[in-house]
Amino acid sequence: MTTLLLDASVLLAAFDPKDDQHEPARSLLEDEAITLATLDLARHEVANVAVRAWRAPESVAPLLAAIERLVDDGGVISSTDTLVTRAAEIGERQMISIYDAAYAAAADEAGHRLVSCDKRDLVSKDLAALPATARSEARASRRD
Amino acid sequence: MAKVMVSLPDDLLAEVDAEARRGGTTRSAVMRDFADAALRRRRESRAAAMRSLLNDAPPHGGHSAEQVKATRPGP
Repeated sequence: MTTLLLDASVLLAAFDPKDDQHEPARSLLEDEAITLATLDLARHEVANVAVRAWRAPESVAPLLAAIERLVDDGGVISSTDTLVTRAAEIGERQMISIYDAAYAAAADEAGHRLVSCDKRDLVSKDLAALPATARSEARASRRD
Repeated sequence: MAKVMVSLPDDLLAEVDAEARRGGTTRSAVMRDFADAALRRRRESRAAAMRSLLNDAPPHGGHSAEQVKATRPGP
């Protein structure tokens, strides 16, 4: 069974009913049949959006709590020198930011499937799948 | 199905074998079932926690991917 690695956009979409990826992102987080992971960078990125874009600092705690729940599921991957070096290579090759590339590098190194709401830089380059697509693929590969 | 070698303490292996005899099954099947059950419990626990956290989440502006990019440090 494939573990799905979520980037910050998926976590944020699940917490924002206004987001066009809200329902598929929420369904993914609540899916009992799929193992979920993320990268430690997501902690900074969700908090940054909650405070600077949403102007809702009270949303930081539940967002970080959601990430903590992933620690006990598929895990929260640490950004090591090796990972950031690999991200730099991917970023240069794909013409994307090191931030986006870090998620791609983490997924690649761990053998996970990256999930993102970023159609422009990740999904269109086949570096990630949208939440609904990833969920459908993961459920199809289940053992039971 | 892949075949793997697993190192276990003698007393744990004895318990696994006893469980296999009790269930009329194999050592491999017992270990497979236990691993599967443990991982399922972990996923179920996360899913339940997420349901609770996501309940009554207020709306914001949408466009999560764009918001992440817009709030990252500039070059």
